[in-house]
Amino acid sequence: MAKINSKPAGSVTHLFIYILTFLLLWEWLRPIPVITHTADIHIFVWFAFFSAILIYLRVPYWLIIPALLAGSIYGLHIIFYEGSFLSREGGWQTVRLFSGEAWYNTTLIFSGEFAGLTDPFRTFLLFLLLALVCYLLYFSVFQTRRIFFFLLSTVVYITVLDTFTPVEASAAIIRIVIIGFFILTLLHMLKIQDEERAIGRRTASFFSPAWMYTLIFMILAATGVGIAAPKPDPQWSDPVPAMRGMVLGEGSGSGSGLKRVGYGENDERLGGGFIQDDNPVFTAEVDEASYWRGESKHEYTGHGWVSDPRYEEVSGDSLGYAKYESLTETEERQVSIEMKEGVGFSHFFYPGQVQSISLDNLSFYVDDNEGAREPLSFMTDPVGGRVMAETPEGNEITLTAYDLVYEDPAFPIGTMRTVSENDPQEVQDLYLQLPEELPERVADLAEEIVEDEENRYDKVKAVEQYFSESGFTYQTQDVPMPEEDEDYVDQFLFETQVGYCDNYSTSMAVLLRTLDIPARWVKGFTSGEEIEELEDGRSVYEVANGNAHSWVEVYFPEVGWVPFEPTQGFDNYAEFAEEEVDIDIDLDEENGEDTEQPDQDRDDMIPELEEGADDFEAAGSDGSTGGGGPGLAEMFTPRTLFISILSLVFLMVLYQKQSRLQNYYFLIHYKLLGQDKRFSTAYRRLLWILENEGLPRGEGETLREYAKRVDLVLSSQAMMKLTKLYEKVYYGGYEPDGEWEALQTEWEELVKSLNS
Amino acid sequence: MRNRQEPSVVTHPLVHRLIENIEKVVVGKKREIELSLIALLSGGHVLLEDVPGVGKTMMVRALAKSVGADYKRIQFTPDLLPSDVTGVSVFSQKTMEFHFRPGPVMSNIVLADEINRTSPKTQAALLEALEEGSVTTDGETRELQDPFMVMATQNPIEYGGTYPLPEAQLDRFLFKFKIGYPSKSEELEVLNRVEKRHPIEEVTPVLTLEDIVDMKKDVRKVFVNEKVKEYIINIVNATRQHHAVYLGGSPRASIALMKAGQAYAFMQDREFVVPDDIKYLAPYALQHRILLNSDAKLSDTTNERVIHEVVQQVHIPAGKESVR
Repeated sequence: MAKINSKPAGSVTHLFIYILTFLLLWEWLRPIPVITHTADIHIFVWFAFFSAILIYLRVPYWLIIPALLAGSIYGLHIIFYEGSFLSREGGWQTVRLFSGEAWYNTTLIFSGEFAGLTDPFRTFLLFLLLALVCYLLYFSVFQTRRIFFFLLSTVVYITVLDTFTPVEASAAIIRIVIIGFFILTLLHMLKIQDEERAIGRRTASFFSPAWMYTLIFMILAATGVGIAAPKPDPQWSDPVPAMRGMVLGEGSGSGSGLKRVGYGENDERLGGGFIQDDNPVFTAEVDEASYWRGESKHEYTGHGWVSDPRYEEVSGDSLGYAKYESLTETEERQVSIEMKEGVGFSHFFYPGQVQSISLDNLSFYVDDNEGAREPLSFMTDPVGGRVMAETPEGNEITLTAYDLVYEDPAFPIGTMRTVSENDPQEVQDLYLQLPEELPERVADLAEEIVEDEENRYDKVKAVEQYFSESGFTYQTQDVPMPEEDEDYVDQFLFETQVGYCDNYSTSMAVLLRTLDIPARWVKGFTSGEEIEELEDGRSVYEVANGNAHSWVEVYFPEVGWVPFEPTQGFDNYAEFAEEEVDIDIDLDEENGEDTEQPDQDRDDMIPELEEGADDFEAAGSDGSTGGGGPGLAEMFTPRTLFISILSLVFLMVLYQKQSRLQNYYFLIHYKLLGQDKRFSTAYRRLLWILENEGLPRGEGETLREYAKRVDLVLSSQAMMKLTKLYEKVYYGGYEPDGEWEALQTEWEELVKSLNS
Repeated sequence: MRNRQEPSVVTHPLVHRLIENIEKVVVGKKREIELSLIALLSGGHVLLEDVPGVGKTMMVRALAKSVGADYKRIQFTPDLLPSDVTGVSVFSQKTMEFHFRPGPVMSNIVLADEINRTSPKTQAALLEALEEGSVTTDGETRELQDPFMVMATQNPIEYGGTYPLPEAQLDRFLFKFKIGYPSKSEELEVLNRVEKRHPIEEVTPVLTLEDIVDMKKDVRKVFVNEKVKEYIINIVNATRQHHAVYLGGSPRASIALMKAGQAYAFMQDREFVVPDDIKYLAPYALQHRILLNSDAKLSDTTNERVIHEVVQQVHIPAGKESVR
């Protein structure tokens, strides 16, 4: 640190830059309490400030080291020890305790046991680091005049923290950009000054107000535009989940609270794009591929689906949920499901019509107590079909593995074409509901689609086919969110025609309801990816968040609820044959293969918050906006385009005309300050303006020669008049007496003629 | 630098009248007349280096007549003695004592023709008078008159039979310049004027010697800003540092430049010196005070060119340099 003493004295600008770098250092300290368990961060800031001042004052090293030592001891005292520092027991005690600590820790260091270092010693090391950083900053500002690397690393640091930790750095990044602009431009100014001094045009450094005004204005303008301008969505998908999955081996739903896609609870507001997520949710051992049903919802609000599940307590042997009626033939099958670690669902996913749960293979945990084996009570919502388990006391559990018995149906298409269309009253009550605000044209469209069809089944098929035949596009990103007064279905059918499963399934359900066909909206997962074929002919499927899906079930009297798949690219209903019973099996096999295609290629998903046991996620239950934000189409509205172009043009004009504007500024400036004593500065400003406009005075050119030349170029006589007066003032030592007022118009004319 | 065709910048009424009067005799030599007057007003002397017959004598005589000054001409020859310049004490048999017969130098305006044709001893006698403003004969110091101005002429040094003036003595002249041949039209004008009778006969005084003395006092009052002084010093300094120069300008050169600048400013009716004055006068005041080194002599470099370069390069003060 002895080197400090040989420093050349810095200017005010240097000090200013040094302060700015200190603010950058502060930005490094700010997020620390969020990402670590460090408290009292203000003490570190104060310590850094203290060291910065000492270093700036170039306190000799025999003084600065004890001072910094004392400062850090004081900091340690505040953080770790009690009592007043100045009292005998306080400060001295701290010193004594700390010297013991230091000795102990030094031995640890030399024996390489870095993990064993105690907290006070670590804190002390941090103090030491801060002081060193302050010195380095001082060195880079006053000596090398290079700070870009520090700035860059600050930006990287903050962005990394913002991306991978809960640190919210949107304000910090703005601050850093502003500070960084200032530092870089001021350093550049210093460099220019050095160069000018080297060629003898300047004798001392200075703090140029004009430079500062321009700088401040430019930075404010840039920041303002940056904040106000429309921003596109991230062009790359959020890398964090994938990276976490890769590096930490975490499954989905691990409770980081990040918005992403998956099976969610809340469907009140559908819409918006989302980002893919391939974290697995569960694996299932099944006879054949099938969709995994979670629940259905029946009330459409115009923006999404709501349900009000009313649970009935059931026994595990008979879960009491019926989907199929007498005319549907079923086959009993068995499935084993194993949830991935960290995925928390308290309700079951099942294919077909769930019958019973095998209590033997059921595992779960309550409140993080894995493998708890308590008797469970099972609850079923007979309307939505949601089957869940909880402890007898009503505590929520998290299922980890379970075996189910279910009915695999085969729907008789011939029968469905001919069955009566007299729906039971309770079905009509629940499944024909529509919001009053639903636009007329939705119903008109439904009529149009089915006008050639006779029976319910053909009508349903016509609606199901409609989407793939009418120019709808399947996409998961840039799907707009409907406005408050816009209907979700109406928007999809008539405005955007782009969307994913939610759009298709909801639209189909709503269209059918306008035709008085009872329909409901089902959510769950597609079959997933076959990852293993077992020897007994069964297969293991892995279902990921990306397999989250929604589809439609339509009611046929005496047949029951038959699933349909309106979403493009997903095979016309994957799991359930819609043919005569005798060819059921063939089709099943075929379909089983087909289902994998869309799963892999399209990754149809429901954009929602991950449902899990975490409080964090339970609180954030309004999550169907996952991956929201303005889409590309929304970005390029005429308004935003107009604003962008306008500001762009404005900036270009500003850049192009900067000297003009500057000249106007001086025109007004000196007009307002028209006293005689301002004459000299006004004249010198004129010289400066002329130089900027490409008419510089030569090195050995006298003012008079210069004035003659300027007058010749500008065909005026004003310059000579002004110069004569200036000579009188500058060389002759006169005080102008009213002459400046007389010449002021000439001055203005000159500047204006430069501007024209 | 002003060129010949430009109108005179002299606006001081008395000086202006004086110049007009001299121009009745000398055609087209306004600049040289001005320079001579600057020398007269600042108490300096002029060295004219020129071929014979271009009007040197006429100019000096016209100047002398215009101010009613006592005018003497010394033709320097190799056998001229110092006493022929300064004057001599003669023994008068009538009064039986020595009495002083002033030499030609004891007048107001002296034309020292072909000064480099005489011996160094005689040159020294004259040049001492230039600097001291007095002459010493027979142990007695005699003040010269005021105003006093010597206009010396010398043949171009390359000519044979000359005793070149040493630098130390050249330094005593305020200006050195050439008169040069007139242009054709000017020469025609000269012929026209002298056709009937010589116009010098008709020149009458327009000023008195007292006017000149008063003006000389006023010249000393012209203000020289520190910045301008700095500029003068920078110029002279630059001649010392110029790569082609063996011996640069002395401090006396700086003094000369400043005094000339004062006179020039006075003639323009200005109460302060501006860098333009200095820049304009620098070649006349400096080129005979520098010695080029041998390299420069072998190449084409001349004293004029060196001074020109220097003047173009030295920064001219124009106010706080950090107007930003």
